Amino acid sequence: MDLIWDGVTEALRLIFSGDSYVYEVTFTSLLVSGSATLIALVLGLSIASFLAFRAPPGRTLALSAFNAGMALPPVAVGLLVSIMLWRTGPLGQLHLLYSRTAIVIAQAVIATPVVAALSTAALQGLNPNLRLQVLALGASRWQAALLLFREARISLLAAAMAGFGAAISEVGATIMVGGNIKGSTRTLTSAIVLEVGQGDFETAIALSFILLGVILVLVTLFTVLQQRRPPA
Amino acid sequence: MAVRLASLAVLLTSLALLDSSCGGDRNELILGATTSVQDTGLLDEFVRAFEGVTDYHIKPSVGGSGEVLAKARRGELDVIMTHSPADEDKFIADGEGLDERPVMMNFFLIAGPEADPAGVRGAASMSEAFKRIAGGQSLFISRGDQSGTHLRELSIWGEADITPQGQPWYQESSTGQGQNLVVASDKDAYTLVDSSTFTVFEKRAGLRALLTDTEKPNIYSVIRVASDKHQNVNATGAIAFAEFITSPAGQCVIADFGMEEYGKSLFEPAARCPSANVGG
Repeated sequence: MDLIWDGVTEALRLIFSGDSYVYEVTFTSLLVSGSATLIALVLGLSIASFLAFRAPPGRTLALSAFNAGMALPPVAVGLLVSIMLWRTGPLGQLHLLYSRTAIVIAQAVIATPVVAALSTAALQGLNPNLRLQVLALGASRWQAALLLFREARISLLAAAMAGFGAAISEVGATIMVGGNIKGSTRTLTSAIVLEVGQGDFETAIALSFILLGVILVLVTLFTVLQQRRPPA
Repeated sequence: MAVRLASLAVLLTSLALLDSSCGGDRNELILGATTSVQDTGLLDEFVRAFEGVTDYHIKPSVGGSGEVLAKARRGELDVIMTHSPADEDKFIADGEGLDERPVMMNFFLIAGPEADPAGVRGAASMSEAFKRIAGGQSLFISRGDQSGTHLRELSIWGEADITPQGQPWYQESSTGQGQNLVVASDKDAYTLVDSSTFTVFEKRAGLRALLTDTEKPNIYSVIRVASDKHQNVNATGAIAFAEFITSPAGQCVIADFGMEEYGKSLFEPAARCPSANVGG
């Protein structure tokens, strides 16, 4: 138990002493997981709009796949992305393995099904007549989609938070495709794994609290945005 | 909203792309290293020192010797540093690697509880100690991951003529060197560990070094992956790294490593470091 308390004080010390290593790995985490979440949002919302509004044949099958995708094992994603990015793999010529971009790809693969599945459910929960009404009133498809997104705002932001949570808390795939390189691909989560491997549990716990703090601050911002009354 | 999101995504991704310096392909050097080198912190030192004198960017790929050699056989690594002599010999005999040079060494030791219920302390040899552990049915934690340490452990069991697999007192942790020691310490069990990792963990792990194998040191060698077999291999970068790590500058990085924190070198350089702080 002492270790946890020491970890909290160490976390505060690291934050306020301006320790550059901690700021660097935090920045890397936010950059890669933020990028991955945005990619997941673009892909996930597109998939959700297509599935919810167009109701293509085989929708239930596709939805089952995305729902199952929410439980996609990150270590399997990491392995598959690694093999794709290996020098001898199909995308080897891009030389992306052990780079931040590789982590963004892996985390986006993990977060996209989460956003897609939850957003589809959110859009399906709207009154189906609403879209027809809006279109009948002369809105373009884009305008209709934007209006429906705003209508389902609360659930869609929940989907975004879930996607971000899946990305920033991920570590197995992150280490596999990123390589845990100091100053480049070392994120908060992979730094924690390294500190544990080096037996420095105090720093590991301190970094864990910093990670939790970062998630708390960002999710609170999202939640404030979510709970705000829509402009009249 | 969607358009704004999309442009933001593009912007951030290109930022991440820019940052990862994936341009200049010939400048990236993929180094396969083992967990003891990472867990002691020496790997970060190697990267820092080597990048300070060359234009190469090292991308370390860390795993047990078995994993590192398997990746090297696929041409995914440029240069490797492992400590698994039998597998390394086979790797070179198969034409997968060349130019093996010793870099540094440490010693294997049996760590165990202070009380030493199996009586490892008085054993005449490593295999004798393993016999006592097996005879006393004392809990033993194995790496179980085809790492250099695991293979050495298996060869000692072989010398002792014991098959530990499947025995209730024999457990495989399948973790890195440091983590394995923590598991053994939590369970008050015996385990085989290299002396460098043990030094780093000595304060935290409640285990004692009971018997050190001074006869057969644990030698870490650098090997270049054969570029005639794997066309993607960065041969010039691999030569640069092998040269650096065996040069006086590289050997001094090893000799100095650990002096400040532990008062001794964690690894013994294979050659001498000319300016080594002998008195320390």
